[in-house]
Amino acid sequence: MKTIQPWLGLVARLVLGGTLIAAGYLKFDELDKSQMAVRAYEMLPISLANFLGIVVPFFELAVGILLVIGAAVRITGALSALLMIGFMIAISQAWARGLSIDCGCFGGGGQVPEGEANYLTPLLRDTGLALLAIYLTLFPHTKFGLDKTPAPATQLGESNNG
Amino acid sequence: MAKQPGKDNFTRNLVIAVVVGVLLIMLVPTLLSRQTDSSASIPANVSADRGYGVVFNGELTGVPVIDIYEDFQCPVCAQFEQLNGAYIESLIAEKKATVVYHTLSFLGPESVNAANAAACSADEGKFLEYHRLLMMNQKQENSGAWDNGFLATLGQTAGITSQKFSSCVNKGDYLGWVSNVAAAGAKANVNSTPTVFVNGKEIDRNASEYFDAAKFKAAVERG
Repeated sequence: MKTIQPWLGLVARLVLGGTLIAAGYLKFDELDKSQMAVRAYEMLPISLANFLGIVVPFFELAVGILLVIGAAVRITGALSALLMIGFMIAISQAWARGLSIDCGCFGGGGQVPEGEANYLTPLLRDTGLALLAIYLTLFPHTKFGLDKTPAPATQLGESNNG
Repeated sequence: MAKQPGKDNFTRNLVIAVVVGVLLIMLVPTLLSRQTDSSASIPANVSADRGYGVVFNGELTGVPVIDIYEDFQCPVCAQFEQLNGAYIESLIAEKKATVVYHTLSFLGPESVNAANAAACSADEGKFLEYHRLLMMNQKQENSGAWDNGFLATLGQTAGITSQKFSSCVNKGDYLGWVSNVAAAGAKANVNSTPTVFVNGKEIDRNASEYFDAAKFKAAVERG
């Protein structure tokens, strides 16, 4: 297990980071739509929703890039876990309230015609990504990362986290 | 090369600082550019009080006020225009309603070009004609078809002959106004196009008041 763990971490980092970069990049191009997507969840005051519509793509890009490079994995893992949990709350409440919106996960977003909303796919995807993020928060030492490889002494300490 | 732990940390921290720094440097101006720029020049018949929309019959009282939010590249907006455009224009001509056009541009660069060109046409008193032509001439989104050259030529079809129009289109005289319209639309919580408000209340999407001409008419008359 000890030898597989860093490799698992590498896969988790690349999948989670790659997804975040893709999501951030696609929204980055159309920030009006990104704002629209956040507003359509009808969760937040409009001015805050508009603010988040711009900030979230930048945040996704930053966290995604750092994850792929493997820098500050514990912190970026925790931040992306929080982000995913936020997304899951937003999607679930939209589903529960019967809103007809596009999740806007990878660009797009806003209202869609009645019956065309799909909440299950994004919810499952975000659950998977949240699990990867939590895994990275718990086991941040991964292969090919910029983070300092722990000396044997700290490795002993690390096993306490598990 | 033996790696020293201390050296590793330096590289790592530098990389983190660069990534976060660059994105912050890009984020701040983006946030600022979304603020309404009240010094941007605005075309004829535009009222900042009405969300920077192009206003027809703004002086009338006691008639319904119709606010239309649309994007020139949105296919559903063209469908809406085809169904209800003539009726709306007749309301304007017969002075039976105040109509405000909000030309959003969230579908991309060619929506921005088109909105700017529409503003230029308002200066020539040909907004309605130009608006109708754009909706009739929709191309594939951001395919390069709606460059400023095409938009300037389209003006001639709308009966605009002045040199000022093509210069206005090519120079993007109203780009600041275009982003003001977008910011006002965001504040008005418009989350899809077309979105139509009659007297400040959105008409009912689920009761097909958008895409049934008779129901749209009823919604306007209900006020």
